[in-house]
Amino acid sequence: MTDCCPRCAHESVRTLHSSPVPGVWDVLQCGRCLYTWRTSEPARRTRRDAYPEAFRLSSDDMANAAEVPTVPPLRSSGPSQKTGLTDG
Amino acid sequence: MAYDDLREFLSTLEKEGQLLRITEPVLPEPDLAAAANAAGRIGDDAPALWFDNVKGFTDARVALNVHGSWANHALALGLPKHTPVKEQVEEFARRWDAFPVAPERREDAPWREHTQEGDDVDLFSVLPLFRLNDGDGGFYLDKAAVVSRDPEDPGHFGKQNVGTYRLQVVDRNRLAIQPVPVHDIALHLRKAEEKGEDLPVAITLGNDPVMAIVAGMPMGYDQSEYEMAGALRGAPAPIATAPLTGFDVPWGSEVVIEGVIESRKRQIEGPFGEFTGHYSGGRRMPVIRIDRVSHRTNPVFESLYLGMPWTECDYLVGPNTCVPLLKQLRAEFPEVQAVNAMYTHGLLAVISTRKRYGGFAKAVAMRAMTTPHGLGYVSTVIMVDEDVDPFDLPQVMWAMSSKVNAAGDVMILPNLPVVELAPAAQPAGLTSKMIIDATTPVHPDQRGNFSTPTKDLPEAKDWAAKLQRLLSETRG
Repeated sequence: MTDCCPRCAHESVRTLHSSPVPGVWDVLQCGRCLYTWRTSEPARRTRRDAYPEAFRLSSDDMANAAEVPTVPPLRSSGPSQKTGLTDG
Repeated sequence: MAYDDLREFLSTLEKEGQLLRITEPVLPEPDLAAAANAAGRIGDDAPALWFDNVKGFTDARVALNVHGSWANHALALGLPKHTPVKEQVEEFARRWDAFPVAPERREDAPWREHTQEGDDVDLFSVLPLFRLNDGDGGFYLDKAAVVSRDPEDPGHFGKQNVGTYRLQVVDRNRLAIQPVPVHDIALHLRKAEEKGEDLPVAITLGNDPVMAIVAGMPMGYDQSEYEMAGALRGAPAPIATAPLTGFDVPWGSEVVIEGVIESRKRQIEGPFGEFTGHYSGGRRMPVIRIDRVSHRTNPVFESLYLGMPWTECDYLVGPNTCVPLLKQLRAEFPEVQAVNAMYTHGLLAVISTRKRYGGFAKAVAMRAMTTPHGLGYVSTVIMVDEDVDPFDLPQVMWAMSSKVNAAGDVMILPNLPVVELAPAAQPAGLTSKMIIDATTPVHPDQRGNFSTPTKDLPEAKDWAAKLQRLLSETRG
C-alpha cells in the first residue's frame, strides 16, 4: 500500500474497485494524474520510492501536456447542444 | 471456415494445439501480461493463452495472444496452420478481390443477454481489467473494434468506421481514447466537435478473429470493414444493431459498450507501451462517457500484449498492412510484385517491382508514401527488383548491399507527415522519410556495373527437389 500516488505523489487517492474475493487487492486511482494501479502489483508500480523516474509525472508535465487531437474551432454557424445519441 | 465469434475460434485453436490453458493461480499483474509477452519470444507457432484462475477474481476468463503467431493468423483466415507467411499474404490479397461482400444482419445477438445502463455501468464488474506494461498509466482495452459514424453522413454504411484505438479505463464508466489524427475516427470526431456535438461510439470487445484483422486494417474512408470481413471470411459478416446508438456491430461480440466521446473535452491520458516498441502518452486526449454495456453470460475478456516487437500486435497488423498497400500500388503500377510492410505497422516497407524506365522504382516508393496509410506511416521504403522476395530478408539485404550507391539511390524527403506515435519524429507528427532504391538501374539510368548478374542455374530447381527428396529418404 501507499499513501500517495506512486507516479505524481498526489495525496488524494480513491478506491475504484475491490477484488471480488474480499481482501485480495484494491484498484486505486490518483485524483490528479489518474494513474491507476492494483495494490497487488510489484513495488515498481505501486510505491512512490520504487516508481521509475522515467514514468513520473509532475504538475508541470500535466499543465504542459499536448492536446491530441487538438480541439478544432467551432464552425461559425454556432454550436448545437445535441448529444448526437439519437442519430441512427 | 468462417468463425462467427471468438468462442468458435478459441475452440478451433484448442483442437489444433494452438491454445494453452493456464490452470495454476496467477496474479493479474504482472503474470497475465508477462505470459503474453513471453508468447512472442518462443517462436512462430506460439499458442493463444487462456487464464481462468486469476487471484482475487471469482469468474475471470482472459484470452491473450489469440492472433499471436503465424500459425494462429493462418487459422484465423481458415488456412492450414503451417501456411508460410508469404502465402498467407498472397491468399489475403486474393480474397480482397471479392470485396465488397454485404454483411448478414441477425437480431439474436448473444451479447443482449445482460445490460448495464446509466449510473449502474461499472466496467470493473464486467471485465477482469489489468495492466500490460510497467509504465502504462492504467488498465487498457487495446483489442476493441470501435464503431463510429460520419456526423455529416450518418446513413452511409461505408463511412461507418470500425477501428482499433487504445482505450484507457479512467473510471467505472469512462474511457480515454486516442483518435490518431490520420485515422478515420479522428475525422468523425473533428466534424462533431466543429459543431459542438458529442460523437456516439459503440465499442465491441471479444470478436471473431477476422473482425480484429479488419479493424486494424488501413482501408479507404468510405470502405466498409464489415464488407471487407465478408470478403476475407468467404462468407457475409454477421452484424447486429447496437441498442443505444443504432450502430452496426458484430453479432458475435462478447461485450458491446455504447456511449459518446464528449465534445471538446481533453483529459490526461497514458502513457501506454505502443506498437512502436516505445511508450507514448502524458498527453490530453478525448474522453468517452459510457451509457450502456451489453454483454454475454460469462464474457471472455480478450486482450493483446504489445511491446518491443514482435508481439501479437505485429502478427495481427502485419498482413493487413501489406495487402492494402499492394492493392493501391498495383492499381496504378501493375509492375509492383509484392509489398512487405510488416514492420511497425508499415513505418518501413519493402517493395519489389519491375522497372518501366530509369527512376521508376523511386517513383513507386513516393506513391507508397502518399497512399492513405502511407501518409501517416510509410517512412522508409526499400525498393528491390522483381526477382527479390521482400519477405526474404537475406535477399533484401543482398539487394541493399550490392545494388545501392547512396549518392543516387538514397533520397531523404524532409518534413512529411507521420503518426505522432513514431518515436523518431521531430516534432511529433512530422518526420523525414527515406527511399532506398536497391533495384538495378535501367535506361536511361546507366549507373553501376550490373550487366552480368549471376542467376540461379536453370537446373538448380530440379536439383533442389532432388536434394529435398534424398534428404527426406535419408532422414526417414
